[in-house]
Amino acid sequence: MAELTYLEAISDGLRTEMRRDESVFCLGEDIGAFGGAFKVTAGFAEEFGPERVLDTPLAENAIVGAATGAAIEGMRPVCEMQFADFIACGFDQLVNVAAKLHYRQGQSVPLVVRLPSGGGFSGGPFHSQNPEAWFLQAPGLKVVAPATAADAKGLLASAIRDPNPVCFLEHKGLYRHVRDEVPEGEYTVPLGKARVAREGGELTVIAYGSAVPLALAAAEALEEDIEVLDLRSLCPLDTEAILASARKTGKVLIAHEATRACGVGAEVAALIGAEAFEDLDGPIRRLTAADVPIPFSPPLEQEVLPQLDDMKEACRELLAY
Amino acid sequence: MSSSPTDVTEVARTMEIAMPQMGISVAEGTIVEWRKQPGDHVEADEPVCDVSTDKVDVEIPAPVAGRLARIVAQPGETVEVGAVLAELEVGGGSEPDHSRVYSPIVRRMAADNHIDLEQVEGHGVGGRVRKADLVAFLEEHRERPLHTESPYKPEPEEPPTLVSHRETSVDVLGPTRRETMSPMRKQIAAHMVESRHTAAHCTTVVEVDFGRIAARRAELRPRMADRGVNLTYLAFVAREVVAALEGHPILNASIDGEEIVHHSDVNLGIAVALEDGLIVPVIRQAQRLSLEGMAAAIGDLAARAREKRLQPDDVQGGTFTITNPGQFGAVLATPIINSPQVAILDLEAVVKRPVVIESGGEDSIAIRPMSYLCMSWDHRALDGAEAARFLGELREGLERGRTE
Repeated sequence: MAELTYLEAISDGLRTEMRRDESVFCLGEDIGAFGGAFKVTAGFAEEFGPERVLDTPLAENAIVGAATGAAIEGMRPVCEMQFADFIACGFDQLVNVAAKLHYRQGQSVPLVVRLPSGGGFSGGPFHSQNPEAWFLQAPGLKVVAPATAADAKGLLASAIRDPNPVCFLEHKGLYRHVRDEVPEGEYTVPLGKARVAREGGELTVIAYGSAVPLALAAAEALEEDIEVLDLRSLCPLDTEAILASARKTGKVLIAHEATRACGVGAEVAALIGAEAFEDLDGPIRRLTAADVPIPFSPPLEQEVLPQLDDMKEACRELLAY
Repeated sequence: MSSSPTDVTEVARTMEIAMPQMGISVAEGTIVEWRKQPGDHVEADEPVCDVSTDKVDVEIPAPVAGRLARIVAQPGETVEVGAVLAELEVGGGSEPDHSRVYSPIVRRMAADNHIDLEQVEGHGVGGRVRKADLVAFLEEHRERPLHTESPYKPEPEEPPTLVSHRETSVDVLGPTRRETMSPMRKQIAAHMVESRHTAAHCTTVVEVDFGRIAARRAELRPRMADRGVNLTYLAFVAREVVAALEGHPILNASIDGEEIVHHSDVNLGIAVALEDGLIVPVIRQAQRLSLEGMAAAIGDLAARAREKRLQPDDVQGGTFTITNPGQFGAVLATPIINSPQVAILDLEAVVKRPVVIESGGEDSIAIRPMSYLCMSWDHRALDGAEAARFLGELREGLERGRTE
């Protein structure tokens, strides 16, 4: 075990899979000599050569389209978006082509799209989004969003080995701020399995990505009997773990940095309302970004994105309910 | 505990309404009239009073929604910019009374435990009775420790079998060794005695010729073995039991007080002997299974039972039970019903016996693989004729082959 940052763990996971399997290759903008916008592929071009670390033009639809073709031919491409926001340009190939090939033709499309997501650094409306909900409405795609370095490595490896197209949301705010023990060598974390990040009996906070450390910090600060469930995968969703925790505590707060309307929180809340109603002891609440574009202005951005104080307040309110 | 009602009222806070800056040259203003009185509710941006300055007359709006608590500046008074005009109470304080509004889990727990919720003090917002409050109430009002798996159920009653005979003289008994019953033994003891106490046990026996089953088993077994399935006599019996239950729903039922609960699904309990006891895992919706599916399900449950890998769900919700201790050579038994189910079927050893068979009007003696099927049933739910009809049908199925 070595202690790695979330960013190093993604790099390590990708490198390990490329060493393990010759069919794995990366493509994206400036990922070769430059090592990628966030340096995830730094040193990859030297180790694996330009054939497996492909610098592409600034054309996301071409990146995802080329990857889809390669995946059909038996390769396992890993696309890098410089920012998750830019996947909008590659949407058609991802949502209409890659996601539906298995349904239409029984054709597996084992590709991964890495999506550096999230705000908190005054990146403004085009470099700060959390677009996971877009993909959750495209059956055929899997969606994962790790919160720890170990999960970042393990889920990326599972995403690469999965026969379906997988959207891999890596939160930029976690890149260098999250650091934990990461198993060395080949390591996978199964898709679709949530993780109890903290056990508790009076309130469940269901979170993923950057909301997980926020929830854990709030629980520690409040010193309350709060359970934190890290979803890890958004599709497939670990409904069993969600319902078990909701039934145990009877009170649920769903937290994510993405905007509120029709988001993961809405889906999880509906599931709990439908399946665990009889065990509820309070309203199912959400803590999310406001339904607005992410502002550049630091104080405005803080107002829009969930902060630690918001998390503590939301927990306090539900515990008191 | 996270909060008391005090915490909740503390959430309510007071906010001041101040004389606003109304232009660079305006330093003070005079209150003309208050449009709201203390106690009135005001919306955000709703005017609360009119102020006159030497330049203009203006309305002063409430900065947020709340209740007007106190007027500081009276009509006619002239006050400086920034001075407090009134106080507004925001949030909390006007919380409606929720002390008798109950969440689903609180209602259910109260019903399960026969609790009058009026007796429970609520510590949630507006006096709501939270789950935590009810758990605390139950803890306070029960002498017994709470059950570990389900925090609001009391521990099951101690089994009445555990009467101590310590007064018996040790000299008479000779050397002895005492051991505490394992939790499993205690549970079996409690359950069996309880069943004996409540159910009106009767046992009916039929004798079945397993000749056809033996042949079918020999025929099908190698193929199923290739697929990893061990085809046992028990699987045949289970399959026929499920089929026969369809015509005799009273045997796929349970008794709840003075009601008989009929079950649409056959959830078949299969008793599995363990080294230190017995456990009855359940095959859910057994009516959906083929012979091979049944054999596979039995194999799976038995293996997991022995490896102690059964989940709590695996041992709940049975509607009819089969026990099969015949492997040890016993030929007859009177099993105890797995209450609240209505019947249990005991499959004993299949042994070769000389029997009279009739062929072409001629009687002759033949050696056949025979077994007794012994069914204990609850006379409260049904009578002997029905039990006999069910067993007759079951025998018919096994000997003639109805369901394959």
